[in-house]
Amino acid sequence: MASEIAIGIDLGTSYSCVSILENGQPLVIPNEWGERTHASVVSFLDDGTVLVGNSAKRNIITNAENTVYSAKRLIGRFYFSDEVKKAQAVMPYRIAEGENNSVRIQIREALFSLPEISALVLKEMKAIVENYLGYEVKKAVVTVPAYFNDNQRQATKDAGRIAGLDVLRILNEPTAAALSYGFGKDITQKIAVYDLGGGTFDISILEIGKDVFEVLSTAGDTYLGGDDFDDRIMTWLAENFLKATGIDLRLNKYCLQMLKEAAERAKIDVGRDAIAKVKIEGICQDPTGKVMDLEATLTEAEFNKMTMDLVQRTFKVCDEALQGARMTASDLDAVILVGGPSRLPIIRTSVRHYFGKDVMAGIDPDEVVAIGAAIQANSLLESKGDHYLLDVTPLTLRVGTVGGYTDKVIDKNTPIPIEKSKSYTTNRDGQDKVKIRVYQGESNKAAECELLGEFEFSGFRIAYRGEVRIEIIFEIDTNGIVNVTATDVETGQKTTCTIRLSSGLTEEMIKQAAEKNAATTLARGAEAA
Amino acid sequence: MSEQVPAIDEAFEIEAQALAQIMDELDYFQILKVPQTVSPVALKQSYYRESRTYHPDRFFQTQAGDLKDAVSRIYKRINEAYVCLRDDARRNKYQVDISGPERAKKLRFVEASEQEMKKDREQEVGTTPQGRKFFMAGLQDLAAQRFAAAERNFKMALTYEPGNLNYKAKASEAGKLVPRDGLR
Repeated sequence: MASEIAIGIDLGTSYSCVSILENGQPLVIPNEWGERTHASVVSFLDDGTVLVGNSAKRNIITNAENTVYSAKRLIGRFYFSDEVKKAQAVMPYRIAEGENNSVRIQIREALFSLPEISALVLKEMKAIVENYLGYEVKKAVVTVPAYFNDNQRQATKDAGRIAGLDVLRILNEPTAAALSYGFGKDITQKIAVYDLGGGTFDISILEIGKDVFEVLSTAGDTYLGGDDFDDRIMTWLAENFLKATGIDLRLNKYCLQMLKEAAERAKIDVGRDAIAKVKIEGICQDPTGKVMDLEATLTEAEFNKMTMDLVQRTFKVCDEALQGARMTASDLDAVILVGGPSRLPIIRTSVRHYFGKDVMAGIDPDEVVAIGAAIQANSLLESKGDHYLLDVTPLTLRVGTVGGYTDKVIDKNTPIPIEKSKSYTTNRDGQDKVKIRVYQGESNKAAECELLGEFEFSGFRIAYRGEVRIEIIFEIDTNGIVNVTATDVETGQKTTCTIRLSSGLTEEMIKQAAEKNAATTLARGAEAA
Repeated sequence: MSEQVPAIDEAFEIEAQALAQIMDELDYFQILKVPQTVSPVALKQSYYRESRTYHPDRFFQTQAGDLKDAVSRIYKRINEAYVCLRDDARRNKYQVDISGPERAKKLRFVEASEQEMKKDREQEVGTTPQGRKFFMAGLQDLAAQRFAAAERNFKMALTYEPGNLNYKAKASEAGKLVPRDGLR
């Protein structure tokens, strides 16, 4: 069994990272050019091969229509959702509508589902490890934001399967970070994990009791991340340019990409040096055909001013998490920062103020999640029982009732796995089926919650209304994925189904996608600088 | 290892399957193997102990079958029990439920409506600032085993909110614990 290994993959919005355990020590695996984190960017080249990672990122401008980034913002979402509309306005690649309100990415003539795109990033991560080890790996733990709903978790799991991976667990990113921090240390502490990623924000409060990692509460915002900081700089650059020249760069997707790239670099520079010089040569032409450059200087004070409200938004979420854990900031022993944007001084300073303590030093915010995933992967593979993750469900599970309302079934922050049953009766004479709509969210109005799926149960005795009793069991498993079973109480007849987003992939589609993924060649070398 | 975790052997398998069989007849205190008077700290310790024993990750490589099913059922019930008992309002309601004549039907906690829960929560710590203050002081005394002081504080709280059932329950609970006969 020496060759059996399970890898840990942090599948990020902007960057991904992969880790394994070697002789008990976690190890981040670099690619052949020594890069330890890899842009979650997929570029479809003319020769039919696919380039993934930092070299693909350089194609966002030169091969814009065929290069997909920030796919994680779209995974598990409906076509009509706000996030998809927003993406359509700014993304240079084409976002199309698929069957049943699903989202597809159009590359030349071909349509790809979001799990298929993410599967290509996973394929690259898998290839990086295989290149390092010299043999094939088949098993992985893949992380997701703690605040991901069932649709997003399902879609991520599908991505793993399409990439030819047996996904042992869908693990929450902050929990993975906490595991990486506390594993083997024999500590008893209450900690907060503040995870600001490229596209999402999560906060989890945990109690670590030696080998037990109990998540007390989790909260998040899947619409808030480092990208939003870039957007602020972009807007600032574009507005200033508009004032000076009368030209709105945002009207052209090509200019927009140049702006985005410059904004991201400026964010990193201003975080490191407290000042950033922005210069984009030849960004556009004026009406007379003269080529124009964009030049600007971004100071830390200016940057802090334009992003302060974003930072404050994270603390609203922190309030919620602390409340969920029935704690105040002073009860915490440590605060861990995770995610690239958490390096920004404005974040570090504000976090220190909010929690009233220094953030934990010596933790790499880019790698800690992948390392935690690798530790968990190894532990599951060997069934070692050297640590226990007691995680929670981040959102309240609900079932639709009459008039567009919902009923609570399982509260948010309930430890998983968990199961709850509810009894229903028919409400019409001669009714031959019941339909149950399942939602996740914090509102009792269905329209304000996320629909997970619709579940139909039939085959029970046809009778007068109220005579047939049906017991529905709702289960949330260790992956945070929802399963529903209905039983006819009278006959004991059972039907089970994992809730599937009505726009999700069918088994057949996953199988086909996996074949396509396996047949795809990952481009290497030449493009990388 | 601070706690002894039973090995997964034949004896464990028999025990787990037996437990899974009778689970529907046990209340949450029995599931977590704690007395009804358990303190929050001891409750958490027991939850951790049972998690170390029955957490599904320990059985990840166990072949699908009776043992895996049993453990999965047990662990879900352990979580259900902990969720209920770690919350004072729920725990109080549950304790009343399982002490009544309908015990057999109420072994699994049934959530009151959100409105009721909110009312319960207010009821639990009180609606007046003075009542809340004495009540919280009483809880601290109770935790520190100063039963006479606890009883006094709960009774003071009651003078501000005579109708508060939770105050009444706590006052009588503390009262029963005060050593009255002068013998130790």
